[in-house]
Amino acid sequence: MNKLTLWGIIFAVLMLGLTWLSIGGSKGGLNDDIVNMLAVAGAIALVVISVFVVIKYVRQMQNDTATGKLADKNWDGIGEYKNELPAGWAFIFLGTMVWGMWYFLVGYPVNAYSQIGEYNQDTAAHNAKFEAKYANMDGTALVDMGEAVFLAECKVCHGLTADGIDGKAANLNQRLEAVVVKNVLVNGSNNKLLGFEFPMPTGTDLGLSASDIDEISAYIGNGLNGNEPAMFGVCAGCHGAQGEGLDGVGPQLNGFNNTLVTNILTYGKKGAIGTMPKFADRLNAKQIEAASAYVTSLSK
Amino acid sequence: MFHWLEKHPFFFAVGVFVTIAFAGLIEIVPNFAEASRPSIGTKPYTTLELAGRHVYIKNSCNACHSQLIRPFKAETDRYGDYSLSGEYAYDRPFLWGSKRTGPDLMRVGNYRTTDWHENHMRDPRSVVPGSIMPAYAWLFENSADVDTAYAEQVTVRDFFSVPYNQEIPMKDGSKETVVLADTLAGAQASALEEAKLVAADMKDKSVQDAVSAGQIPEIVALIAYMNSLK
Amino acid sequence: MENRPLEYDYTVAKMFMLTTVLLGIVGMLVGVILAWQLAFPSVNTILGSGVAEYTNFSRLRPLHTDAVIFGFTLSGIWATWYYVGQRVLKVSMAESKVLMFLGKLHFWLYLVGVVAVVVSLLLGITTSKEYAEFEWPIDIAIVIVWVIWGLSLFGLIGMRREKSLYISIWYYIATFLGIAMLYLFNNMEIPTYFASGGIGAWWHSVSMYSGTNDALVQWWYGHNAVAFGFTVPIVAMIYYFLPKESGQAVFSYKLSLLSFWGLMFVYLWAGGHHLLFSTVPDWMQTMSSVFSVILILPSWGSAINMLLTMKGEWQQVASSPLIKFMVLASTFYMFSTLEGPIQAIKSVNAIAHFTDWIVGHVHDGTLGWVAFMIMAALFHMAPRVFKREIYSKSLMNTQFWIQTLGVVLYFTSMWIAGITQGMMWRAHDEFGNLAYSFIDTVTVLHPYYTIRAVGGTLYLIGMFLFAWNMYKTMTAGRRVEENELQNASPMAA
Ligand code: HEC
Ligand code: HEC
Ligand code: HEC
Ligand code: HEM
Ligand code: HEM
Ligand SMILES: [Ca+2]
Ligand SMILES: [Ca+2]
Ligand SMILES: [Cu+2]
Repeated sequence: MNKLTLWGIIFAVLMLGLTWLSIGGSKGGLNDDIVNMLAVAGAIALVVISVFVVIKYVRQMQNDTATGKLADKNWDGIGEYKNELPAGWAFIFLGTMVWGMWYFLVGYPVNAYSQIGEYNQDTAAHNAKFEAKYANMDGTALVDMGEAVFLAECKVCHGLTADGIDGKAANLNQRLEAVVVKNVLVNGSNNKLLGFEFPMPTGTDLGLSASDIDEISAYIGNGLNGNEPAMFGVCAGCHGAQGEGLDGVGPQLNGFNNTLVTNILTYGKKGAIGTMPKFADRLNAKQIEAASAYVTSLSK
Repeated sequence: MFHWLEKHPFFFAVGVFVTIAFAGLIEIVPNFAEASRPSIGTKPYTTLELAGRHVYIKNSCNACHSQLIRPFKAETDRYGDYSLSGEYAYDRPFLWGSKRTGPDLMRVGNYRTTDWHENHMRDPRSVVPGSIMPAYAWLFENSADVDTAYAEQVTVRDFFSVPYNQEIPMKDGSKETVVLADTLAGAQASALEEAKLVAADMKDKSVQDAVSAGQIPEIVALIAYMNSLK
Repeated sequence: MENRPLEYDYTVAKMFMLTTVLLGIVGMLVGVILAWQLAFPSVNTILGSGVAEYTNFSRLRPLHTDAVIFGFTLSGIWATWYYVGQRVLKVSMAESKVLMFLGKLHFWLYLVGVVAVVVSLLLGITTSKEYAEFEWPIDIAIVIVWVIWGLSLFGLIGMRREKSLYISIWYYIATFLGIAMLYLFNNMEIPTYFASGGIGAWWHSVSMYSGTNDALVQWWYGHNAVAFGFTVPIVAMIYYFLPKESGQAVFSYKLSLLSFWGLMFVYLWAGGHHLLFSTVPDWMQTMSSVFSVILILPSWGSAINMLLTMKGEWQQVASSPLIKFMVLASTFYMFSTLEGPIQAIKSVNAIAHFTDWIVGHVHDGTLGWVAFMIMAALFHMAPRVFKREIYSKSLMNTQFWIQTLGVVLYFTSMWIAGITQGMMWRAHDEFGNLAYSFIDTVTVLHPYYTIRAVGGTLYLIGMFLFAWNMYKTMTAGRRVEENELQNASPMAA
């Protein structure tokens, strides 16, 4: 075999191998996604056609000789043959023009195709595919799904291990840190943690002294372990004796639960650490439920 | 004919020009005729937001970030609703970008917040390990150019009738007004007010001090701009 | 005069040769820095974090693109114009004092423009539009430089002895007209300082177009800037230098003719392929895809014409590095003009757009085609303008292989990076959620970014060899006589 043909084939195989590698890099490979397949088909066509065509012309350089009638003129010694157009080239050129007309006038008649229409169809198909699956998803499957959501959406703030990256966002491996509690007691809170407007009174309103606030913050920040501060009873009225929360009155303080996290994801949360954006528009109900299940599972 | 043209450079040039010019006409004119109308809920930029947009441009953030959400499920999942033409009505220049080395930012205001930007812009790898985005520490030192932003607001109001100080319909049926001050001093003052709101959510002491002292660091303007992207 | 060879005057050509080499090195050095920055972000603070404002990726990126386009490529275009123009029109610049003056003015004003561009981009003064970053004062300078080129171009044509225009001249004329039209319309902007009665920065301007319209004009410009900057003038070069160096007659006049007019007609319609799935109307997107595919043929026409010109001349390809550069350039031209149309198909673009596959496409075009051709042209010109033999053929060969390896590493790594990234962005997991957060799609690219950086570094090393070879040719090459300069360029082993 000719050396160049060999190089051509090596090159083609290399490129196809790389394309193959790229597909392998993505979860599920081609994923039954028509766009993936067409893109890969395009990449393959590109390699194969290029190699084939270049080999053809190299062959001509090696084996053919220049022929034809020379024009009379020359420019700085450069002559010109009066050769006809290469038939293949002319033919394909004409062909693409005809195809183009057809594509534009018949194949994709102006205005008969809409990218938004296509999007709506794709989205509907996608949703239909997963709605059936969601209906009876619970338990560990739900937590797994929640982990997937967390890794795609939340880890940029809360970190891979949900530790809050050194205080840059909440550490979700525990419910509340002392600074957060203290901030709430100093400034109050109205983040719709119960799903509706209902503020958390400030420490002053509740008759707490500065040292009460410190004590209580430390206690809750420690996961409600240790000696219960004297004034904690004030809190228990709304948050329950163990900080387990009271429906519609005060959110849980000793751990996460589905309602609490769902509300945080729905409305966002602004606190001592920073601002947590709301996710209501980005995640569907099932995804929020799953994320809640995952967050709840973290501190258990 | 072609041999003749090749001997007559003037007509040759005219021929080339006609050939290349008319495609442009057909491509561009129809859309212009349909002049892009703002979508409901699309507001012109405030002085501070526009100053932030200039910071974005000055640092070529568009080299790595797009602002164009294509109508694919994967994109609307990741970035939010696909883009509409009318949402760009006040974008001069457009900032769609052509390379996503980083994620799209068309609606980043919906899912990132002031304090996160603060951490991230100072040191992207401190919040996103493995990020290849440069750290933009100098934005905390340099002052934003509010004057030029104001000059641009005045220009677009006068030349392109951008509706400052007019009621703009919002998606929920309400109306909002973007105020444009009559004087440069007025614009500087209102930009500072806006800057104070942003700085209140930031942690950096020097930024807060600067804002209290009447200065607006570039980072504050940039965050105001990013928060406005929705 | 009729019987002895004309004494062509290459003063201006030499000046532009110098900036071609210099700005080529600067532009590609910056490109290499960018490549390393994407692989290792700490390179952003390579000169210390104090000056990171000026050395970070995003500040440098426009400097790279503008240095290689408006510095390297444009200088190359002009260096060859001031060489080729005289020869195929059979008229010397020395015959007209006015033209000589215009030529020199052209160069010096251009140089002032270059300095202004470098300074302003480093300071972050930019309008953000790709390949049209310059603010209005520089736009005006560019228009002036362009008009001066036009005067000297048409002036020379007006004085010609050769009545019929050679193919290369067609392409130079088209370059002039195309860029003039595109640049003017895409840079319509209002200086805010004057419009607001003296407020803010004097150099700042605001675009006349907004949003989707702005995008449309920008990519009508951007796409055709590729046409009239990276294609048309480079084709002008290959039509002269390949037949000249090889001594072969151009394969077919008809093919030249059809390719030229076909290219002129088809190119302009395809700009919408930069805006697929954006908010421009669907019919416009479809139209651009269609024309992009049709565009393969007029593009390939020129490449095929050149490859067929070398029919039966394999021994020349094998023995001359100069011819190797040009033959490889035309094959890379074919490759990128097939790759582009494939990426312009809507379904493929859905993946390719916004990814490194596009960057790969850009660089197999620019490194493999544009830069190879420009360097070949300069190699051919050097013995003729300096009246000296090319200093070292073996150095040329080394350069050729190093750079070829560099390009291959560049585009193969970006090919795989782009497709990987594009597919990861689209992937959903078994729950119907996005399978990857954005950062996952960034970190997987690290190895490919590293390979690209290595490839780019190799290419840059080749540039240094090129510069050295040119310098030694100019200063130390053996002197040659006119009769050694007919076709194949003399080169020392
Ligand atoms: C009147 C009822 C009431 C009392 C008494 C009360 N809380 Fe609350 N607490 C709430 C409500 C309601 C919320 C949710 C506020 C919101 O939506 O932001 C809340 C929220 C909180 C939060 C914020 C949780 C989070 O995730 O940010 C903390 C911490 C907290 N309370 C601690 C206390 C402590 C400590 C006490 C006693 C000193 C106390 N609360 C007393 C009603 C009460
Ligand atoms: C832009 C950054 C950001 C993103 C993205 C983010 N969070 Fe948060 N999140 C925060 C910050 C900051 C806080 C702390 C608020 C405070 O100061 O209390 C927080 C708090 C929380 C809390 C409350 C913790 C507590 O004990 O009060 C939960 C639960 C939570 N995030 C879950 C999530 C989930 C689930 C996601 C993804 C779907 C997510 N977050 C995405 C920044 C973010
Ligand atoms: C070298 C490329 C690069 C440049 C230049 C760059 N970024 Fe980024 N950006 C990234 C990458 C990669 C990410 C994703 C990883 C991360 O979050 O850091 C990112 C993420 C972001 C995000 C988070 C978006 C999200 O959805 O998580 C914001 C906001 C952002 N960049 C803003 C900017 C701004 C503003 C500038 C200019 C001042 C800028 N970037 C310049 C590469 C870049
Ligand atoms: C038939 C010819 C060609 C066609 C149809 C074509 C098509 C394309 C397409 C579809 C894109 C990607 C747009 C996107 O999705 O972002 C692109 C980008 C690009 N191409 Fe080509 N291409 C062609 C030839 C070339 C050549 C020969 C070069 C250079 C030597 C070139 C340089 C570029 C550049 C620089 C970009 C990047 C533009 C940007 O900044 O986004 N193209 N081309
Ligand atoms: C040593 C050689 C080179 C290296 C290492 C290099 C590297 C790079 C890098 C890293 C980028 C940024 C890509 C990104 O944003 O992800 C880039 C962009 C670009 N380069 Fe180069 N480059 C080189 C030579 C050239 C040459 C010679 C040209 C043109 C003649 C060129 C034209 C461009 C263009 C047009 C872009 C913008 C592409 C786009 O926006 O899609 N480069 N280059
Ligand atoms: Ca680009
Ligand atoms: Ca401009
Ligand atoms: Cu294009």
